[in-house]
Amino acid sequence: MKHGSALLLVAIAAGALALVPLLAPPFYANLLVPFYGYAIALLGFNLLFGYSGLLSFGHALFLGLGAYTAAVVAGVWGIKEFEVALLAAALAGLIVALPLGWLAVRYRGIFFGMLTLAYGMLAHAVLFKFYHLTGGDSGMRVPRMHLLGLEFAAYNKIELLAGPFYYYCLTLCALAAFLMWRIVRSPFGLHLRSLRDNAQKAEYLGVRVHQFRLAAFAISGIYGAVGGTILGFRTGLADPELVYWTHSGHLVFMTVLGGFSSFLGPVIGALALTLLQDQLQSLTQYWRLVLGAILALVVIFLPRGLAGLAIDVSLLLGRRSAPSTASTTETA
Amino acid sequence: MKLSRRALLTSLAAAGAGVTAPGVFAPAVAQAKPCRIGILAPRSGIAASAGESGLRATQWAVEKFNVGGGIAGRKIELVIEEETNPKDTIERFQKLVQQEKVDCVQGIVSTGVGLALGPVAEEARALTIYWDGTTQDGVDEKLPNPKYLFRSTDNECEAVMSSLLAIKHWKGQFKTIAGINPDYSYGRNNMAAFVALLKRFSIEHEVVTEQWPKVGTMELTSHVAALKAAKPDLIFSSLLFADLPVFMKQAHAAELTKGTKLVFPAAGWQHTLMKKDFTPEGMIFGHNTLYFDNPKATALQREFVAWYADKFKDYPNWEADRAYFAIASYKDAVENAAKAKGASWPAIDDVIGALEGSSVESLGGKGSWRKDHIADQTFVQGFSTHANKYDFVTLDPARIETMYSTELQKPAGTNFWDWLKMAKFQI
Repeated sequence: MKHGSALLLVAIAAGALALVPLLAPPFYANLLVPFYGYAIALLGFNLLFGYSGLLSFGHALFLGLGAYTAAVVAGVWGIKEFEVALLAAALAGLIVALPLGWLAVRYRGIFFGMLTLAYGMLAHAVLFKFYHLTGGDSGMRVPRMHLLGLEFAAYNKIELLAGPFYYYCLTLCALAAFLMWRIVRSPFGLHLRSLRDNAQKAEYLGVRVHQFRLAAFAISGIYGAVGGTILGFRTGLADPELVYWTHSGHLVFMTVLGGFSSFLGPVIGALALTLLQDQLQSLTQYWRLVLGAILALVVIFLPRGLAGLAIDVSLLLGRRSAPSTASTTETA
Repeated sequence: MKLSRRALLTSLAAAGAGVTAPGVFAPAVAQAKPCRIGILAPRSGIAASAGESGLRATQWAVEKFNVGGGIAGRKIELVIEEETNPKDTIERFQKLVQQEKVDCVQGIVSTGVGLALGPVAEEARALTIYWDGTTQDGVDEKLPNPKYLFRSTDNECEAVMSSLLAIKHWKGQFKTIAGINPDYSYGRNNMAAFVALLKRFSIEHEVVTEQWPKVGTMELTSHVAALKAAKPDLIFSSLLFADLPVFMKQAHAAELTKGTKLVFPAAGWQHTLMKKDFTPEGMIFGHNTLYFDNPKATALQREFVAWYADKFKDYPNWEADRAYFAIASYKDAVENAAKAKGASWPAIDDVIGALEGSSVESLGGKGSWRKDHIADQTFVQGFSTHANKYDFVTLDPARIETMYSTELQKPAGTNFWDWLKMAKFQI
């Protein structure tokens, strides 16, 4: 797909998302709020997975970190500015990611996966067991906060989520995507790809393998924490299940469903899974079974995910239209 | 007569306005429209059996009520969604309220979910009645005076009752005690309540071990070994999920149940899995608010249990009673409020007003709503026996105890631990 048409598609998609609160029933705007949280987290997750070749099975740790940071900032310290919570979460994500990443990026493949899984399980145990600090299984409340200094007192929480907060998250997601686009298109992003494809060769060429992977890990941690802050605000709760390994699996599912080989693949996966799960949960109590089957089918038949499928279809249509245009010209 | 376009449009607009104006045809439309009740119940995982029992009771109640004309003349229609984790359950709740436009949401078994959902229900201004969920963080009420939310009895009711029974019947017969309780606030508070009541009644005791398996853990060998090594006179356990029968099997195999007094306040959630082969007689066994084989059961309970056994070849646990209480009290409140308003469908504030302080006959006995929207219900516990026609233990009919939750839960605005020290318990 050409760069210009891809940009046009992204602009149309963003425009369509902006119309959701205006045209769709309010429930759908509410439903899409966590999608933005996941989309931001997955942009970071895919820097690690799609661009650096490091599959984390404990990435939900950072989402939990973001939600708990929001709970502390707003609930314990009483700072009701959402921007402060976002900044604090990003900082917490960085602070936690640096030591964890320093150890983890020395490993690849299953060892990296298992180590990150262990991080997630440790975080779950800490959140679950330290009742007096974290609220244990009950978690910590994330109170309502102000957006850009505005209280929106006339809105109840559901109206706030489906209106101002929706647009706030859409904007945040667009900014995060733009920033990530710049990151992956920068020399830093090229270094990461070279490491993913052949770390040994890249190292011979002078690429500092561990430092670059650590930087990717830290950036993905920051993105995860920011995404988690949105989830925490939306639910009004930070609870240990946010960091549990099944939640990390959820992130992997979204990424595989959307396709990790394209920039927006994980975001498409997050959107698809959010809408699919909503419909399936209302249709059948066996929705998990259906989701599992879909994941299996995607892995077998669509290894590049929905984004890969869309690219293939557009290429196919492009190829078909090209000869027909040529023949029309010849005929004319 | 010539009809101009302007006149035609004006007439159509007037006709349209007449049809859509509230109050003209609204009552007829409202009566014809079904009363939609949204249900949030666990349908998979460790609480699935509880969710299923509650759902079946709700469906039974709906069939029964619909035969009698529904609620205030409107047939009842259920919209069922699954209760999972807090984040997803809030999503399902919002779907029920915003998309499905239900009149009332009922359900919720998990306290963690209930705690998160409470403020959302209040913000949504949606009448919500919990089956088994509370809004307590530990034992502290986090939503003291909600307007739209009605919560179940405190989680500690069953532990208080079991503790009182243990003190009443076994005082002086045990000294060393051990606990095996699920590792979350419910299990920890139940164990702490038991110990606090022993202190309150000056029962000399020594806690020799406390085991905290993760909720739903099926590998309990090390916990059983630790209990066996501690040689307690009495074991207190509020295990209540699928791990309970597994524990009992392993404890039986290790001969831990021989000669040890057992206090299990919430065993009734798994009652049909508590087989005689490995569950001893004489243990304190809690059935919470519904004991299916209660010899003193009301006609309503007998009718329900017979239907349940016939249809599902199974016997209901207490979640059925919680669910029935929710829907029956809602029906009662709507009809009372409608009567007060001259038979028109009442506004949500009228229904809330009618619910406060109301009482209905639930499956397991009387149930009522306090002014602070917390339920009071009838609790049943007793001593296990093998003398029955089933392959699982039931309660010895001669030793069944019934208590109303006014005796078992803290009054509005009080601290649970302070209340335990000062309450007047009838032993």
